Amino acid sequence: MKQEFKIPFFLLWCHLKRGNKWTLSLIIFLMSIAFINLIFVNSLFAGVISNTNKQVVNTFTGNIMMLPPDGEDFFKETSQIKTDLESIDKIEAVSPQIIVPASMKYKNVKGNWTILAVDPELEKGVTNIYDNMTEGEYLSPDDTDQIIIGRQIAGGEEVEMNAFSFQDAKVGDKVTLSFDSQSKEFTIKGIFYTKFLETDKRAFITNKAFNEMFPGSENTATSFIMKISKTGEEAKVIEEIKAKNIKGKFYGWEEAAGIMKAITKSFVSINVIMSIVGILIAAVTIFIVIYIDVTSKRQQVGILRAIGVRPYLINATYILQTVVYSLSGIAIGTAIFFGLIVTYFKAYPFSLPIGDVTLVLEYADYIMRLEIFVWVSMLAGIIPSLLVTRVKILDAIWGNK
Amino acid sequence: MPNKIVSVHNIHKFYESGHVKVHALKGVSFDLHEGDFLIIKGRNGSGKSTLLRQLGLLDKPDSGTIHLLDEEVIQMKEKLRAKMRLTKIGYIFQEYALLSELTALENVMLPAMLLNKKIECEKRAHRLLSKVGMERRIKSLPNQLSGGEKQKVAIARALINDPKVIFADEPTANLDTQAANSVMKILKELNKHDNHTIVMVTHEPEEEVFANRIIHLADGKII
Repeated sequence: MKQEFKIPFFLLWCHLKRGNKWTLSLIIFLMSIAFINLIFVNSLFAGVISNTNKQVVNTFTGNIMMLPPDGEDFFKETSQIKTDLESIDKIEAVSPQIIVPASMKYKNVKGNWTILAVDPELEKGVTNIYDNMTEGEYLSPDDTDQIIIGRQIAGGEEVEMNAFSFQDAKVGDKVTLSFDSQSKEFTIKGIFYTKFLETDKRAFITNKAFNEMFPGSENTATSFIMKISKTGEEAKVIEEIKAKNIKGKFYGWEEAAGIMKAITKSFVSINVIMSIVGILIAAVTIFIVIYIDVTSKRQQVGILRAIGVRPYLINATYILQTVVYSLSGIAIGTAIFFGLIVTYFKAYPFSLPIGDVTLVLEYADYIMRLEIFVWVSMLAGIIPSLLVTRVKILDAIWGNK
Repeated sequence: MPNKIVSVHNIHKFYESGHVKVHALKGVSFDLHEGDFLIIKGRNGSGKSTLLRQLGLLDKPDSGTIHLLDEEVIQMKEKLRAKMRLTKIGYIFQEYALLSELTALENVMLPAMLLNKKIECEKRAHRLLSKVGMERRIKSLPNQLSGGEKQKVAIARALINDPKVIFADEPTANLDTQAANSVMKILKELNKHDNHTIVMVTHEPEEEVFANRIIHLADGKII
């Protein structure tokens, strides 16, 4: 190693050891804030996206939704199809569902919500609605005149869509399901609140109740929803289902959720834009910090050049210094982020119509932002250093220009 | 005849002061030989410091030639001028020009660290600081030193790479009499015992006794 390459390390060491500690602390603090800014927005959007995805999968469509093939309104031989689907290793649970073609009335309020007839035990395997009952109980397979409704249907003062709901229906109250010229009264057995608006606008009855209302509908379904062992492998599993010659139209949860896919895409776009803004903010912050630091040391730079230290070594000193600042900022920023901010949002999550959102920071995202931050720091640090080392030696020493 | 160390031929230097163009050096020429102790004297604004900066490779004249150790230095690439400043020249500033975050020892050893191993530099810096009477202040930072002490550190730094010629720009201007005498004594010893060639700018008449040559500058010309 050439001796002169040690000079930047030596000068940096002296600077860290003897430079003004308050200034150093302030610079590192600013760097940590800039880094937190860079990861916070990303983790917030990642949290929203991740939570949306989870909610769609866990409360709405499962991983895969299967609809009848074109030209058919429903599946026949549901039991056989279910058995065939369950024979695929990666499918953990299957729940046939039937859309109930009925409107619902409570007192004087009448509306058309999505009402699904399910086998409660099978549904438990795919969705977690049973785990989100806020009042009353989940359905039992033998329930024939009981219904569970989502919070957005039940309503109440605190409910987001209260104006379009039953406005405070309670467990034990009666609702009437009307279809064709018939109607049937159901008792509200439970009210669920998944915090996912689309799910909370649904109601469920049992297959048994549906079969009583529509004799001859046994062993039919209008859709199947499935839970698979590993989210992300939907396409593979769909191929396996098709290979079994099971007829139907298949949708991964992203497609099945429809509008949620568009929302998620929008969040991804916003996240990219916000990340670029975050990087620019970090770059400008670092540039200002290093610019002030370097320009306040113009005289020192001039002295170094006067005694024969070449500009590239001085620039290398400032690059090293910036790397130390940025790595320290990253370390402290990471500690604050995970130690305080993430912990806080775990305890007090953002409450959005898609559910409670916490901060999610993927390892790859974190590493990528860390790398960007260090590179941007180096770039923002080298520019002021280049500006100062290009000034004439005497001007630098005397502080001219 | 001793070797020629510096040869200056017909150099001119202009600079701008506000909107006024100043002709600071007007065709200055002279030679300097090994072992010389040259004093450049003159009134304020006579161009003596400007001349020294051209010789010390801190600035470039607008025309003329300067040969330093037989090498023409005005047209020389900045990389080589930096190497020359590092290895062949010792420069002592009026305002000391020490690095504030480095101790006396570190300030002195820094130029040597560009060329040699740290341990060797440290030994040499120790020796030089002892030579200028600063052995007890090696760990002091510049802001803990008096003016005279800072100048002694600056002298030790100028000597660290064993330069052929030392340029000193009014090294005693900011010092009290005792400190000034001490600094001049060190410079004289360097010249007399170690055969260092010294070029010093001063306007103190009592310092002329140390020199074997004196150049008077007035209005940018040697008179």
